[in-house]
Amino acid sequence: MDAFSGYHPLINFTYFTIVIGLSMFYMHPVFLALSLAGSVSYSVYLKGRKTVKVFLIGMLPVCLLTMVMNPLFSHAGATMLFYMRNGNPVTLESIMYGLASGLMLAGVISWFSVFHEVMTSDKFMYLFGKVVPAFSLLLSMTLRFVPRFTAQIKRVAESQQCIGRNVNNGKLYERAAHGLKILSITTTWALENSVETADSMKSRAYGLRGRTNFSIYRFDRRDGALLAFLLGTTGVLLTCMHLRKLKILYFPVFIMNETTTGAVILYILYGILCMLPLILNILEDIKWRSLRSEI
Amino acid sequence: MALFEIRNLTFTYPGQEKPALTDLSFSLEQGEFLVVCGKSGCGKSTLLRHFKTAMSPYGERKGHILLEGRELDTVSVREQGARIGYVLQSPDNQLVTDKVWHELAFGLENLGYETGTIRLRVAEMASFFGIQTWFEKNVEELSGGQKQLLNLAAVMAMQPDLLVLDEPTSQLDPLAAGDFLATLRKINAELGTTILIIEHRLEEVLAYADRVMVMENGRILALDEPAKLPARTRDNDMFRAMPVPMRIFEALSGEGFSPVTVREGREWLEGWMKNREAAGSSGEETRQDGGYREAASEVVIEARDVWFRYEKKLPDVVRDLNLTVRKGELYCLLGGNGTGKSTTLSLLGRIRKPYRGKLYLKGKELGKYRESELYGAVLGILPQNPQCLFVKDTVEKDLREMSKDEERLRDVIAKTEIGHLMNSHPYDLSGGEQQRAALAKVLLLNPEIILLDEPTKGLDGFYKQKLAEILKGLTKEGRTILMVSHDIEFCAEYGDTCALFFHGGVVTSAPARQFFAGNSFYTTAANRMARKWYPDAVTAKDVIERCRES
Repeated sequence: MDAFSGYHPLINFTYFTIVIGLSMFYMHPVFLALSLAGSVSYSVYLKGRKTVKVFLIGMLPVCLLTMVMNPLFSHAGATMLFYMRNGNPVTLESIMYGLASGLMLAGVISWFSVFHEVMTSDKFMYLFGKVVPAFSLLLSMTLRFVPRFTAQIKRVAESQQCIGRNVNNGKLYERAAHGLKILSITTTWALENSVETADSMKSRAYGLRGRTNFSIYRFDRRDGALLAFLLGTTGVLLTCMHLRKLKILYFPVFIMNETTTGAVILYILYGILCMLPLILNILEDIKWRSLRSEI
Repeated sequence: MALFEIRNLTFTYPGQEKPALTDLSFSLEQGEFLVVCGKSGCGKSTLLRHFKTAMSPYGERKGHILLEGRELDTVSVREQGARIGYVLQSPDNQLVTDKVWHELAFGLENLGYETGTIRLRVAEMASFFGIQTWFEKNVEELSGGQKQLLNLAAVMAMQPDLLVLDEPTSQLDPLAAGDFLATLRKINAELGTTILIIEHRLEEVLAYADRVMVMENGRILALDEPAKLPARTRDNDMFRAMPVPMRIFEALSGEGFSPVTVREGREWLEGWMKNREAAGSSGEETRQDGGYREAASEVVIEARDVWFRYEKKLPDVVRDLNLTVRKGELYCLLGGNGTGKSTTLSLLGRIRKPYRGKLYLKGKELGKYRESELYGAVLGILPQNPQCLFVKDTVEKDLREMSKDEERLRDVIAKTEIGHLMNSHPYDLSGGEQQRAALAKVLLLNPEIILLDEPTKGLDGFYKQKLAEILKGLTKEGRTILMVSHDIEFCAEYGDTCALFFHGGVVTSAPARQFFAGNSFYTTAANRMARKWYPDAVTAKDVIERCRES
């Protein structure tokens, strides 16, 4: 059981908005590296070794490609390293920028993969149901409808197969016709059945004024504390960026802030932010171990 | 005061001359358990829809429907929504949302309760129904029985006074149906909720019922306690749908109160036997059963050591299956849920392939048939949901798609008795009619072997008998039928050979009578009731004949 997923959906959502936002819009190399490290380690914690394989096969090539492609097509920057055959210069700055973009891309992708794991449909629905109440029910009904519809298509196709009228029976023209027929009757089926669903909704008093939205989530003190921490940390980071305590510039020349004590403290703060889900999990694990040893 | 009172209710659907309900008057007491039964089309569903304004069908209505003395129309939607709960036939269609907890809360959300109240009510209901363990699941993951229980719980969360149920168990297997009815009984007994239910599995529900209403052509044929029912319905078609103990009672004496359950039936039969012995008739004698043919005809379906699993890592679903079906037989494969019966059918239908073992149809290996040959003159498969076979908007178009041969068409239509349904949309037919239309579609391919998956599911006694006649006609023509079923009574009465399927294979197979006479749990109600005296009597007819003879 993932400790972070156990927090209130609002916490989950706020957290991902902050880390994904910062990774996307602040291309500081140290930040990017921390963000990537945080997201990948959390994703390994959540999904196990499979992630490593996905990361190596799927993501790494994309990032490398970005790193290589950027200097080939972008020629901005003051430090020219050499000229390509077509006369365009390759600059140090665009190589640096490509590197950073690759890191950013990898980080954001892996954050999204964790996001998908943690923010399940019901959490999403709960959050946005508060804003637009009808949306929450609609989404819920859609989520129920789609798997049913596909299952029915499969059932009809199997039945048609047994009378030799599935999409893989007959000539090309016939196959298309069979497929179309299956799709059309399944649509009829869905409409037909929705009558009973509508009855069931009506009989349970759907449509009255003042419908409420029930959820199984509760915003407790622990959630409050974590939210305060999240907002506080983000506030500090944003303020310091605004005050140029941290700075980064790629063009025309690469400029980065010096590694002062203040900067290191900010790095650590950001590191804690990115590692937060993992830290929470590890704390929980330690707690469990000590609880068990007491027994 | 009665909870509901119906006075002179007459209802006519638009565009029809004959009323669907004619001059009904009765009342429903607080806390009553009332069962409504009748042939399909007798107006019972139409009647049930009148108990809530939101569910009422369009049409011309006369008469009064009173809820605690007030006209139902004047009672607010909010009050009706909370106080009258409906559970309908299909477990799937009634579920609105994707999560179990959300479904439980749905009605309460509509009534506008705040979170705290909903949480309490949902918790109460989940505990009462034992839903806690699947509370956070997606509804997709539940079995049919669980879905229907969830529907019931979702309605009960609104704390209704009256629960109206329209054939809630027709899509469930016998075990799940039994669970469902027992839960209803619990609700009725422990919460005092009034229950009005349409049901055709009368064996179980009559044991719980206070009164039974038998309907015919939009009128009330009988409305009385279950024990007095045989006397009121003996001259009617519906009598055949009555539980076995009642039928035996009626045939043998018909005086006084009828037994309803198997236990009561056995006690009653005990008394009856004593009386007869006192009158000095002959004692026990077992009769040799000459009713079945020697197995001599050609083997048509054969399975040899067949094993199957869905994925390598999953457990075997079919294991070491051996099966022989002979030409012209009605072979019934009986067994519980999830034992692999339907999977076996899909193996025989070549929809799935076994990973070990061989299957033969008419002596030729299944894999060697060409597609057009197999799914034509050799094999016809009727899926569990016959609806899946229809693709057109009228029955006629659907049948014509299969065959251009007019004579064959006429022949099949006559055989399956669907001539009057040709212009209807296949989805508008009743369960039994759909079953027959689907069978007609399969028969147009002229298959020698027909595989049926739960053909009696959701059919009432009348349609079952009709189906049986059609199937018997087909076997007489030399076609072989293999059917998978939960329906013990049906298989005992009409099957030639019955086999018990368990744990992925056939445990035993024998001619129907011998099969049931040998089992002690897994046997018909008639056999359980009379086995002490006539161990080989399997159907109600057997018992009656044997009792009369001796």
